[in-house]
Amino acid sequence: MFEFLFKYPAHVFSKGTIVLAGGWPVWLLILVWAIAAAGLGWVMWQSKPTWSRMRSASLWALEAAVACLLLLMLWQPALSVSALKPQQNIVAVVVDNSSSMKRTDADGTRLDAAKKVLNAGLLKDLEKRFQVRLYSLDSSLHRIADVNALTGDATVTKIGDGLRQLTAESSGLPVGAVLLLSDGADSSGGIDRQAITEIRSHRIPVHTIGLGKEQLSKDLEIRGVDIATRALADARLSAVVRLRNRGFGGQRTKLEIRDGSKVLAAKEVTLGKDGQEQAESLLFSAGLAGARHLTVALKAMDGEENQANNSVSRFIAVEARKPKVLYVEGEPKWEFKFIRRAVEEDRSLVLVTMLRTTQNKIYRQGVANNKDLENGFPTTAEELFQYDGLIIGSVESGYFNMNQQELIRQFADRRGGGVLFLGGRNTMSDGGYDKSAMSEMFPVSMTGAKGTFEREVASVELTPAGRDSLILRLVEDPEKNVARWKTMPKLADFQAAGTPKPGALVLAEMVTPKGKMPLLITENYGRGRTAVFATSGSWRWQMTQPKEDQTHEMFWQQMMRWLASTSPGQVVGSTPNALLSDEGKLPLRIDVRDKNFIPVADADVRAHIMGPQSTAAEVKLTPDPVIPGAYIGEYTVPIAGDYVAEIEAIRNGQRVGADTMLFRREDGVTENFYSEQNKELLEKLAEETGGRYWKPADAGKLATDVAYSEAGVTSRETYDLWNMPIFFLLLLAMRAGEWLLRRKWGAV
Amino acid sequence: MRRKFAVSALVFGLLAVSTLLAQRGRRFQSSPFDESGEVATPKDANEKTEWAFARLRYPSIQSGNQMWSMRGNWAIDYPKADRQFVSGVRRLSRVHARSVEQVVDLDSDDIFNWPWIYVVESGHWDLTDAQCAKLREYLLRGGFLMTDDFHGTYEWEVFMASMSRVFPDRPVKDIPNNDPIFHVIFDTDQRFQVPGTVNWPFTKTYEYDGYEAEWKGIYDDKGRVMVAICHNMDLGDAWEHADNPAYPEKYTGLAYRIGINYIVYAMTH
Repeated sequence: MFEFLFKYPAHVFSKGTIVLAGGWPVWLLILVWAIAAAGLGWVMWQSKPTWSRMRSASLWALEAAVACLLLLMLWQPALSVSALKPQQNIVAVVVDNSSSMKRTDADGTRLDAAKKVLNAGLLKDLEKRFQVRLYSLDSSLHRIADVNALTGDATVTKIGDGLRQLTAESSGLPVGAVLLLSDGADSSGGIDRQAITEIRSHRIPVHTIGLGKEQLSKDLEIRGVDIATRALADARLSAVVRLRNRGFGGQRTKLEIRDGSKVLAAKEVTLGKDGQEQAESLLFSAGLAGARHLTVALKAMDGEENQANNSVSRFIAVEARKPKVLYVEGEPKWEFKFIRRAVEEDRSLVLVTMLRTTQNKIYRQGVANNKDLENGFPTTAEELFQYDGLIIGSVESGYFNMNQQELIRQFADRRGGGVLFLGGRNTMSDGGYDKSAMSEMFPVSMTGAKGTFEREVASVELTPAGRDSLILRLVEDPEKNVARWKTMPKLADFQAAGTPKPGALVLAEMVTPKGKMPLLITENYGRGRTAVFATSGSWRWQMTQPKEDQTHEMFWQQMMRWLASTSPGQVVGSTPNALLSDEGKLPLRIDVRDKNFIPVADADVRAHIMGPQSTAAEVKLTPDPVIPGAYIGEYTVPIAGDYVAEIEAIRNGQRVGADTMLFRREDGVTENFYSEQNKELLEKLAEETGGRYWKPADAGKLATDVAYSEAGVTSRETYDLWNMPIFFLLLLAMRAGEWLLRRKWGAV
Repeated sequence: MRRKFAVSALVFGLLAVSTLLAQRGRRFQSSPFDESGEVATPKDANEKTEWAFARLRYPSIQSGNQMWSMRGNWAIDYPKADRQFVSGVRRLSRVHARSVEQVVDLDSDDIFNWPWIYVVESGHWDLTDAQCAKLREYLLRGGFLMTDDFHGTYEWEVFMASMSRVFPDRPVKDIPNNDPIFHVIFDTDQRFQVPGTVNWPFTKTYEYDGYEAEWKGIYDDKGRVMVAICHNMDLGDAWEHADNPAYPEKYTGLAYRIGINYIVYAMTH
């Protein structure tokens, strides 16, 4: 319709500019418009019409509009647009040749559809106007002679990289446009902004033809899995699985996590609304130390169009190290005993305790030898920072001297450890912490009042944040977990710790005779984290529940893991993604600190990498110019498989520390996902580069449209607009309208 | 004359008998120990504390020997021994201790709120099956039991008649000297028999055939003492009469050190 009324397609207008080809100046047109309108008005006023002013004004407006339109046509409006010169430009036809193109839709495979579009005349039409170069696209671009070379066997599609390659290789050639035939399934998850900017800088429009169903009728798909890449042995891990269904809304299926054939966790899930993404969480044990290759899978439903997108892999490095937690307690307490008992059950943690049994005696448990903590609480960073977590019980702040107080603060801030303050009669403001150097690391603003600790029972309630917390997860199902907490025995005592600070997270509250108050509050502090557990009465969870009940043990083990498991070592290796999907480049970053956890800038840091088929390499990392103590590097992962990187930092001939990283490369998997046509990506690519998105059925018109481009060898074309049908129809409508009005009002 | 001789003979006879009795011992001299157990209630009796001396009230065994049956029960030395001991706990350790005792039993679930309990004269207890089951549950959840003041073979058998129903599967073992329970605050390698006041004036320290003090225990699966058995000794008397100069200090000193060690062990293991 648009083209009928305006003579040219809309996108031609969007590419061009309107000009007046008559040669007369615009100001003259405006002046003539004004004179004509005024003259018509004067004539109408002179005729002294008998009708109202409103009717006179309406008729005048119609006559003036007709006059102005006629005058505009005299000035010859035209469209000036840049167009490719025939036979002097190249049009690159790029066809996605990855395995996702072999997916069968209603009319055969997507690759068949692409060939059909090209062979149905599009290639011939293009060849009439341009030189056509045909390419196949997978991880890179390959020139091919004809469409028969397309097999759909490639395991990777990297649209961004392919287009970059095209623009780079053809920088000296008159490439006027790119035509991309694809389903938009990109292995790298999309086209990054930098790639689009690069393509735009060459001003080459990319026209895209979308292949494949825009929406599958029956499908389950795992869209993503969020899971830790490192864990301690036996750690309880949470996997958040994002999934989407088409055509199975309201039905139930099974979601499970497997390690090989061993099922680690499973749950029944009710599928959400059609097309909407839903998140499901699963808890599972990390198990023994070593590399864990997990499969997260949805049970296939009857009639599913694509079952290859029902499972994904994840790679977790389960570490053998045992984080050490130091617990200092000021007086014998039942809480102390039962915390010790709970943590003793955890073979992946070491709990070292020092208890003031008398005014002058300290009873130490869990120490490696008789010298450990012999002189009381550590007085040097080296001594304290060997621990990963620190628990401070009912110890008045004055027990620690100023140096020790600063060390405790630095333990969280600089060392990156976790510090937990327990309730008690000698802690919080009752212990003078509100006036100590440690007050700023508390996640609460203490009241300053005395007598905040009371030996009265209190029940526990989870907050919304607590419902999602792994510390408080006693039962896997979130709703059942909330219900379980409601049945937990009351705490033996409570403490009014204070008001949570901004940024702190209240995970649980207590219902006490004095009202509701926070029980478990956490916050991030520097590189580490701090928490307050405002009671010393959780031992009742152990003593007043059957001996088989493990909730007390579970809570404290999870609390300890939160406290200590993420505390970094002196040498820590990291990478943004330990599971490389069709990706050969592994960025590495190593953070190196000395025993006092001060960044080391002059270490010799190397990664010794071993992989499949006896692959071995050594990567020397270089200091990051911006971040002190950080070393960066990159390793090109040659083939698919599992890799181990042993990282070592040496300074002045002495070993600063070491770390081990695990990573994996797998190829050809991502092609199975996002099995619907990624129309959004193709539309965006076309829009950002000045091209158009096409459906295969409309591709016949493409050859004409491709001509309008500013790339390549172009000429400026001017198309008359004065003779557009819309002008004629407008004139006709306005004159007819005036006649009808006059007739209605009795003037004709 | 005959009458005068008779009186003289009677006086002489009484003197001779009393001399002989005096030479044999002072059996008929009045005991310096007040066994009434009465003691004033402290002002802070209602203070809520971390730990309290929880004394177990149990049913006593009924036997054909009525005198023996009446001799021992759960309330022996109560409450003075408890309060005397607590005052020492307060003075010698950082345990936040209540000044008065708490009487508990195995018939209600309240016992689970008191993770340390003391049983006196456990050679006289006779627990029902339900009480045995509750005590077993209590100990396996993490509770601690200290027994005291029972002596000799027969009382041991009575003690074990109930205890073997609590733990039919766990042996009673001698606690070795190097066990933390003997060192958690005080090093108590040098232990000896602590006598009850019945032994006054302490020319001997044993009762019945309980010649040697026995420091025994029942352990949990992690090697922690759950039941600390003080057999052939009477620590309760040593606490109760700690303020009496007639009771030797060396026995009181050991009894306090053992008791405090057992409490702090129970609060740390």
